[in-house]
Amino acid sequence: MTSPIIELQGITKVLKGQKEPRTILDGVDLRVHAGESLAIVGRSGSGKSTLLSVLGLFDRADQGSYALAGRDISRLPEGKAAKLRSSHYGFVFQRFFLLKHLTAAQNVAMALVNGQGWLPRRERRARVMQALEQVEIAHLAKNRPSRMSGGEQQRVAIARALVREPQILLADEPTGALDTETGTLVIDALLAATTRGCSLILVTHDLAHAGRMGRIAHLDKGVLTERVNA
Amino acid sequence: MIRLSGRGRSALIIGFQGIRARKTRTLLSMISLFLGVLAVVIVQAGASIAEKATMGDIELQMGLDGTKQLSVPAGERSTRIVLDAVTGRPDAVAMLNTRAIVGEPGVRPVNEGGGPIGEDWGVPMECDDQGNCTEITTGGPKGQAIEMQVVALTGDVRKFRPYRQSSGEWLDFTTVPMMAPRLVLNKYAAEAFEQYRVPAEMRIKGASANLTPQFVGVVDDGGYMPTAYVRLDELSTWLGTASLSDPNSGELQVLLAGTTPVEQVLTSKLKAIGQDAYVDEIKNREDMAEQLQLMRLVFLSMAGLVLLIGVAGILNVGLATVGERVEEFALRRAVGTPRSLLAGIVLAETLITGLLTSAIAIGVSAAALKAVVTVLGPSEPLLRGVEFPVDAGVAGIVAGLIAGVLGGIIPAIRAAGIPIATVMRA
Ligand SMILES: Nc1ncnc2c1ncn2[C@@H]1O[C@H](COP(=O)(O)OP(=O)(O)O)[C@@H](O)[C@H]1O
Ligand SMILES: [Mg+2]
Repeated sequence: MTSPIIELQGITKVLKGQKEPRTILDGVDLRVHAGESLAIVGRSGSGKSTLLSVLGLFDRADQGSYALAGRDISRLPEGKAAKLRSSHYGFVFQRFFLLKHLTAAQNVAMALVNGQGWLPRRERRARVMQALEQVEIAHLAKNRPSRMSGGEQQRVAIARALVREPQILLADEPTGALDTETGTLVIDALLAATTRGCSLILVTHDLAHAGRMGRIAHLDKGVLTERVNA
Repeated sequence: MIRLSGRGRSALIIGFQGIRARKTRTLLSMISLFLGVLAVVIVQAGASIAEKATMGDIELQMGLDGTKQLSVPAGERSTRIVLDAVTGRPDAVAMLNTRAIVGEPGVRPVNEGGGPIGEDWGVPMECDDQGNCTEITTGGPKGQAIEMQVVALTGDVRKFRPYRQSSGEWLDFTTVPMMAPRLVLNKYAAEAFEQYRVPAEMRIKGASANLTPQFVGVVDDGGYMPTAYVRLDELSTWLGTASLSDPNSGELQVLLAGTTPVEQVLTSKLKAIGQDAYVDEIKNREDMAEQLQLMRLVFLSMAGLVLLIGVAGILNVGLATVGERVEEFALRRAVGTPRSLLAGIVLAETLITGLLTSAIAIGVSAAALKAVVTVLGPSEPLLRGVEFPVDAGVAGIVAGLIAGVLGGIIPAIRAAGIPIATVMRA
């Protein structure tokens, strides 16, 4: 079998609080292969977002190792981490974080800015439109977020995550602010990306959404356990 | 075309987007900065204009730095001594001043007393040895004549006082003296002739006949009185040295090069006849430059204080904006924007604001100066031909840049330090 795209071993994250340090992640092991989808469920405060921020290179673990496609990236300097975030990862959050002074297309194009600057205009536009089409809102390209529904805004956010064609899609309760029906459409859009070989890690409270993922893992007090689905 | 690196270009484009999204706020921060930059520009412009006006003229009026000036009380013997020592020498020039009326015979000059045309300086006085003074009146009706100072020169004075040629030629000291004296007018004398179109005949007190002068050129001598320059040897054909050295009509000045034996000779010979001659070395430029520099410094530091308020304004707005955009910056970092680019975006915004403000301030002050010059220029000779100085523009741009950097650096550092995880906790 090929090496997993993501491999965590013994990831531990300790928060040095005011009094005694608190362990938020306690020896998390995790392997995810290309094209796989994984749901992470657990109570509020169990450390799901913290795990996602370690996975997304927002934050570093205190212990343990993190390998991306077989390459150890546990101790990456920030500049290289930023490059990786831009080239390998896509992010979707509970809130959409669209910039209200930009159109949908400009919000998506924002993710194309990295240290090297912008792609040529024509290529940029093609990529943005392609990403918007993937989430079926190409017709809203010129609209500003204030004139879109929550579901549409979240789909713009997904297009922003997909525009660089990431290998890993990290979603932190992306349906948390949406009604069930709209949420289902959003999950559809996320799952569609896995058919192109992208791995999806979805944090959710909604068991129905979790059930649509290939695997489900439980996080409780920083300990991750996977139930193998029957 | 400026070629921007990818990162600089991105920062500029995103910075512009940010400014466009917050127009009112940008405008407000520009107002306080505008006053600061305006103050800097005005001080710099004022200092430059003052410097140009005073420094330029002082060399014409007094002489180049390093020139020595000897003032000799007029008198027949002292004049003789001076002329003997100076004539034919390139390193010393004597100037004998007298007055002349040029114009129609028998009329009083329009500017009796020899003051500037259009200004009444009152009737001139003449005093005898006992100190009894009487008014000099030429009699007759006021009319087609102009009174002016005539400066008779033993050599080319321009190596000491670099008069600017406006038209025609300067006096040629190399030729044989002519019977009709050649005159070079200063601007004010030339203007008077233009204005009154007087027929040219020159009356000088003590001259054997009225002479017909030839005007050969016009110079700017930095003075405000109508004046004519003439070769002494052309004038003395008509006018004895005795009347040229009349204590009433003038004084005798000798301009000397920094190191010339003439100085020694003159002072000792004058001493021998009981005349004390004082030699002054001219260093006006040095003195003035020092004073102007000090003044400029004082005013610039005051302007700097005003500018500081502008910087505080930009800083305040910058910090508030970053505080408001924590999520945007965290998100940008999440999608891979490097910290340096984030800092660059914030700095680009404050720099654009700063430069835009300074451009407006420079434009406003240049336009204001132009308006003042057009309105007041005709009546105020000091303002004539004044242009907006380049260094004031440069100072304004520098002020805008400094304000942009100072006001932007702290917000930029803050923006770069926003943790990405903010997007998960919001
Ligand atoms: N920056 C922080 N400061 C203090 N406590 C934090 C911080 N980040 C996370 N925590 C704590 O860590 C625990 C896990 O948080 P989080 O990963 O957001 O949980 P979840 O996403 O599962 O709700 C919580 O108890 C939270 O209070
Ligand atoms: Mg969470």
